[in-house]
Amino acid sequence: MKQFVKTKEFWILLMLIALSMIISSRTNVFFRPDNIIDLVKNNVVLGILALGMTLVIITGGMDVSVGAVIAVITVIIGKFMVNYGGNLFSTFFVAIASGVIIGGITGILVGYAKIPPIVVTLGTMSIINGLMFYYTNGTWINDIPQWFIDYGKITLFKIPGGDESLIGVPMQIIIFIVMAVFTWFILRYTLIGRAVYAIGSNPVSAMRVGISLERTLTFVYAYMGFMAGIAAVVHTSIMRQVDPNAFTGFELQVIAAVVIGGTSVTGGSGSVFGTILGVLFLSVLNNGLILTHIPTFWQKIIISIIIIITVSIDVIQRKRIERNLPKVDVEI
Amino acid sequence: MEQKPFLQMRNISKTFPGVKALDAVKLEILPGEIHALVGENGAGKSTLIKILAGVEIPDPGAEFLIDGQPANIQQPLDSTKRGIAVIYQDFSLFPSLTVAENIGFGREIGQGRRFVNWIEIRETANRALQELGVEIDLNSQLEKLSVAKQQLVAIARALAFNARLIIMDEPTSSLSQAEVEGLFKIIRNLKAKGIAILFVSHKLQELFTIAERFTVLRDGKYIGTYLKKDLNEEKLISLMVGRKVEFIKQPGGKVGQPILEVKSISKKGNFKDISFRLHKGEILGLTGLVGAGRSEVAQALFGLNAPDEGDIILEGKKVSIHSPEEALSFGIAYIPEHRQIQGLVMRQSVAKNITLTSLKKIRGKLGFLDNNSEKNLVNQYMQVLDIRPKNPDMLTMQLSGGNQQKVVLAKWLATNPKILIVDEPTNGIDVGAKAEIHRLLRQLAAEGIAVLMISSELPEILAICDRILVMRRGRMVAEFNIDEATQEKIMNKAFLGTANSVSA
Repeated sequence: MKQFVKTKEFWILLMLIALSMIISSRTNVFFRPDNIIDLVKNNVVLGILALGMTLVIITGGMDVSVGAVIAVITVIIGKFMVNYGGNLFSTFFVAIASGVIIGGITGILVGYAKIPPIVVTLGTMSIINGLMFYYTNGTWINDIPQWFIDYGKITLFKIPGGDESLIGVPMQIIIFIVMAVFTWFILRYTLIGRAVYAIGSNPVSAMRVGISLERTLTFVYAYMGFMAGIAAVVHTSIMRQVDPNAFTGFELQVIAAVVIGGTSVTGGSGSVFGTILGVLFLSVLNNGLILTHIPTFWQKIIISIIIIITVSIDVIQRKRIERNLPKVDVEI
Repeated sequence: MEQKPFLQMRNISKTFPGVKALDAVKLEILPGEIHALVGENGAGKSTLIKILAGVEIPDPGAEFLIDGQPANIQQPLDSTKRGIAVIYQDFSLFPSLTVAENIGFGREIGQGRRFVNWIEIRETANRALQELGVEIDLNSQLEKLSVAKQQLVAIARALAFNARLIIMDEPTSSLSQAEVEGLFKIIRNLKAKGIAILFVSHKLQELFTIAERFTVLRDGKYIGTYLKKDLNEEKLISLMVGRKVEFIKQPGGKVGQPILEVKSISKKGNFKDISFRLHKGEILGLTGLVGAGRSEVAQALFGLNAPDEGDIILEGKKVSIHSPEEALSFGIAYIPEHRQIQGLVMRQSVAKNITLTSLKKIRGKLGFLDNNSEKNLVNQYMQVLDIRPKNPDMLTMQLSGGNQQKVVLAKWLATNPKILIVDEPTNGIDVGAKAEIHRLLRQLAAEGIAVLMISSELPEILAICDRILVMRRGRMVAEFNIDEATQEKIMNKAFLGTANSVSA
């Protein structure tokens, strides 16, 4: 417990609780189980993308193409289901394969060609958006097959709702939990997961102990794509239609969630638990702004201010710590 | 009894474009031996370590034997698997990870695993720390530890690899006296377990306390391996110095009035109690080992590293310099050591680089840059310094090293400095270009500029300076007039001098 108090996650948790208190003092529906379930369900897409983004940012990278990637995958699976029927398995397969291919290409450009990730992902973002508008003309896909919509309505486990009724946990939340556990396992118990931390912490040392920067970075961006694939299916199952514009600017939210969750933009540290807290914090903030009737344009301003504050704190702390590291005079 | 060597390296050469860093070097290390690798700055120690670590691959023809068997070392893992561990000067640890992971992680990678066994990592880390006889919290984040403890973690990591040879690169450079003694105790314990140590350091007293044999390199060549009993500090220095590259002695100039006087300036952690005078028309050399604080003093004069105490007196007036802009306004120009990083915009034209420091001079009526005066200024300096090729629109990165250095000189001369500070002005350029830079510096001094030249190359210092200052570990330890200075005398002071020995 003493250990936990010292972690970044603890402070985010405190902030989350404080924020929830403020909101619930202004509206009495906030803490009702159905509001909470709704709130989480509406943000699982953000959450799943944030899980992938956590790895990217731990390596010291950044992926601004997530919005475009998930948007194009929703279009791909929308068209796929409308034109070929398909089933749940093949839809997932198409979504994941698309995501891994796009992410893998990004990863190869970052890892092997050593192009700065922000440049690569800005590029892929533009290319994808351009191609998508050429293909869809911005029109929605509305005729998603009924079988898929039915899947989206599945709920599991009954928990007591606000009144006497029981409400179920939507399957989308279950998928998010499974993905979170999976990502936590990768980061904690696989060598490539630890390599992700090592590269972010000190790339030169990582190379010296025999970690392949190229392979690890390719994996990280491919994993981001994998998560975008899962998130695309989940999103479509909730919205029951495909809007190619739905994710414009969404990368800001994803990056914000991860950074608020304590992942250092300078690389080397971050956790799944922190990211989940970051996602919840953003969700509660958005929800609270709606419940308290604050105009939505304030959201972007507030989120951006929070990002700048958290990143500043992180960078200042890091500078303090760096003074403690051994000083080197390089011999040439 | 003759012991069988753990490591034998023979005929190790390494050629980088334009330089032969190592030329048929030998190294032999016995099990459980404490071996010192010594040489001046640039003698090739770092390159040899990198080859041992598998970071650099030697030129063909090298023989590399471990336990008498040929070892094929192509990458870092090959070398760690054979029991060679390097503790770099920066330790090469992971600051944001825990102690346990820093120690145990490399080994897991070496085993080619896919999954992490945390129990094993903790056990490995625990065992290694116990072997060292130290206690460090396994869960603590590395960056929260003191430097000395971080070093222990680095040593523990080497033990976790079952290292039989641990290479330590300047291990005492950021330790206090008590911590150094602690480290030596640990090194002796490791020796007792049969682990060999290769100790690379500039601190000769420390080496004579701990090492049993010495291998000396000079200018990338093997000079010899000696037992401690056959050496003393003076003899060791005489083996290290004496570079054969000699430069044409430039005749000294007419030294004029003092222009700059530095009175016991100090900066915590950088340098202490530094005093000297610089005169018009003189070239004052400032030498010492890398890390002695020479560049820090220069940066203090240029406003990049303001001193905590002491006075800087410029033409009789006390001044304080807090930024390069201020320094320039006082007529001080500073040409930094790594011209590619700090001195030049490589992807811009020669002309744009030259005028970068003097944009105000070429400003036209409306405040926009005036092309004609830019051209004139650039042509003037390209002529004076003989920059080739004579094309001001060429990208700076396309020039040779010597001509790049001239562009840097031009850039700063365009500010009309009274004092020019140059830091390793001929680093990494060929001999012909070096001589030309020397001639230019002498010419500038003859025009009345006061030049302060930092250099590790003693032949260079002896060829062009009027006076020579020597620093050691942040202190001024000697001052020589050019006619009394020799390489041996300077190196003696650079390695062993104490602050009391300054005659001023």
